[in-house]
Amino acid sequence: MKSKKILIIDDDPIIFKTLGDFLSEEGFQVISAIDGLSGLEKAQKEKPDLIVLDIILPRKNGYEVLEEIKKEESLKKTPVILLTNLGSLNDVEKAVKLGAVTYLVKSDYSLKEVAAKIKEALN
Amino acid sequence: MKLKIKLYQKITRHIYDDFNLKKQAYNLGVEVWQTPSFLFICMGLAIMVAMAVVYFVSFHYDSPFVLIISEVLVVIIMLIVGGFIIKSVEIFAQANKTKSEFISLASHQLKTPLAGLKWSLEFLLSKRRNGLNKEQISILKDIEELSLKMEQLVSDLLDAARIDSGELFLNKDKADLEGIIEEIEKNNLSLLKAKKISFSFKRKNKVPLVMADKKRIKVVLDNLISNAIQYTSNEGMINVEAEKKDDKIKICVKDNGIGIPSDQQKRVFEKFFRGTNTEKLFSRGTGLGLYITKNIVEKSGGEIQFKSIEGVGSEFCFWLPIEEKKKR
Repeated sequence: MKSKKILIIDDDPIIFKTLGDFLSEEGFQVISAIDGLSGLEKAQKEKPDLIVLDIILPRKNGYEVLEEIKKEESLKKTPVILLTNLGSLNDVEKAVKLGAVTYLVKSDYSLKEVAAKIKEALN
Repeated sequence: MKLKIKLYQKITRHIYDDFNLKKQAYNLGVEVWQTPSFLFICMGLAIMVAMAVVYFVSFHYDSPFVLIISEVLVVIIMLIVGGFIIKSVEIFAQANKTKSEFISLASHQLKTPLAGLKWSLEFLLSKRRNGLNKEQISILKDIEELSLKMEQLVSDLLDAARIDSGELFLNKDKADLEGIIEEIEKNNLSLLKAKKISFSFKRKNKVPLVMADKKRIKVVLDNLISNAIQYTSNEGMINVEAEKKDDKIKICVKDNGIGIPSDQQKRVFEKFFRGTNTEKLFSRGTGLGLYITKNIVEKSGGEIQFKSIEGVGSEFCFWLPIEEKKKR
């Protein structure tokens, strides 16, 4: 069975390395980008099955990236999980309004739980 | 009838809170004379005095100008005192906005390195465990435990700040209370063994899933059970009991620990409250746990109560609706 392709867009190298390595070990094909603009370009080029997106990012923030993904015909059905450390009601409401499937606060979840949420969103 | 009593209690509490100037000043971080309620009372009194003066003047000098003067006087007083009220509300709103921005920034800046630390350790201990010897695993587990404590502290501080600014957000999940209690017991097993505390969990009937924020409800149960463990001496006992009653689930955590002094019981759910007997015995603790616990329970549509006798023990019980309430 072909492994699912996950794009992680996060500017924190420790976060995308640990999450990326963990997901690889769980059988996913992982690609990553360290800013919003290159993340969007990679999404357009690689057509991932799911995108894990941070909010505070250089060159284009997570909300802007999410907005553009949802506008693009070839990407708009790709589930996007927002994985951030902003956890206010406003942030969550904004993310849901823009079309994110789940909103996760990094420090509240273990790698295992994030992987479970990704599998859930892919099904 | 019960609903009427609840409504009456709500109204009286609302009126009491509105006129509890000391508490209002403490909450807003201002002097008593700067609180909106005090200024409002002043405005009312000033208008009453002005009206009384006008009444006496008009009684002695029968003139239509008196009515005009009285209206002008009232308008002037309303403008002056009302201006003060608006100004003070503006200051509070500005302070609130700054606090909210600070919470957002602090939340991100503090939580990012903590998440990185936690995930790195989890990765090492789960996927690279085979390359480590027993001593290395033990050291990493100690670091993991410390990082979790640090994370808990940051979360408590941020949650308290979010509660203050009305920004505490709750997810909607199906929470398995039974599973959460068993997990907390498992996590505290070594401490329970070390203190030789007997821990029991009784289910009076089948415990259903509840529509609530799983993570936050775990915080509630963790706070209550951790407090019970911390404040119960060696060879004590802790009983957790779950019972489904109509459309609610009731959970009680009972211990035979040091209890709460009766003169301090009114303040138990206040922010930063720590009983004098706990401060003497335990140096650790922020006094935020029960404040956060009460707010999470109430925001989930439930309520929490307790009874305690110093030197005998405490029992904290909370109720949660099983089905999600329409308004949250």
